[in-house]
Amino acid sequence: MSTSFFSATRLACAALGLMLLAGATAHAADKDLKLEAQLVVGSNDPQTKGTPVSPQVEKKLKRLPLKWGSYYVVSSQQFSVAKDDSKQLLLGGSEMVVKNLGGERVELTLINRGKITQSLRKDQTLVTNVKDENSFVVLRQAD
Amino acid sequence: MKLQAFLDGELPAREAREILTWTQRDREASSLLAELRNTRQALAKSEPHLSLPESREFFWSKIEREIQRLEPHPVAAPPPSGFAALRRWFFPAAAVSALVIAGMIAYFQAPTAAVQTVADADAPTVETTLANSDATTYRDASEGTTLVLFSYAVDNSPVKNKKPTAIN
Repeated sequence: MSTSFFSATRLACAALGLMLLAGATAHAADKDLKLEAQLVVGSNDPQTKGTPVSPQVEKKLKRLPLKWGSYYVVSSQQFSVAKDDSKQLLLGGSEMVVKNLGGERVELTLINRGKITQSLRKDQTLVTNVKDENSFVVLRQAD
Repeated sequence: MKLQAFLDGELPAREAREILTWTQRDREASSLLAELRNTRQALAKSEPHLSLPESREFFWSKIEREIQRLEPHPVAAPPPSGFAALRRWFFPAAAVSALVIAGMIAYFQAPTAAVQTVADADAPTVETTLANSDATTYRDASEGTTLVLFSYAVDNSPVKNKKPTAIN
């Protein structure tokens, strides 16, 4: 019984399956990242400039320790970044570079300010402030 | 002939008594009986001892009997003692139970460990470019949101109650 269970054919099939699974996983991890960067302005007053952020983003922003009651999208960019590739952006007068590190990790470099390395899966959002006190960049994977 | 038969013990008791009486009375008969007895004894002593050759069947049957004699006879196994029965079933059962318990512990601990691992992997790494700048990090694990606030000037702080260190 054990001989047939651990037969060479079954072991070979199992190894092949694992290799295919590993290959598929590696391929998924190294595919291009489709990202969306939004310049969001926070305000405590009704604002005509920009459009209100999506309810999903609004919920996330309102849970953060920020002093604004409403958030509006001033500009938005969707782009794809290949693994180990970078995309340069200019949002709200701030220059930044987004690099795909692979494995759904990104490196956001804000010129003359700093660098953030963060995993950015579908359910994750990265928020950082830019020049104006009520201006933020919301970076996440595009839907 | 009667004397020879008497000597061989083949005569009936009555005739044997008559012969015995006759040999006691007749000297010639007595000497003849003695001679026959001597001859018989001499033949008995000088007769060569002949051994019959063994037959083929007898030879092999003898080997078979010898083999059977030398073979260890199966000894009836003693009835298993209570400890032996306990050892036979208890140890495997204990091993299986230990494996099940270990599996349950791993199963119930795994989600926590996985969350901790993911949480550690999700922790952002922040580097500030300027020497006098600072960065504050806030993580909302339930929503998967990370906020990184770079400080420019204290007056421009967008945080409700800004703290100089990381909020988590």
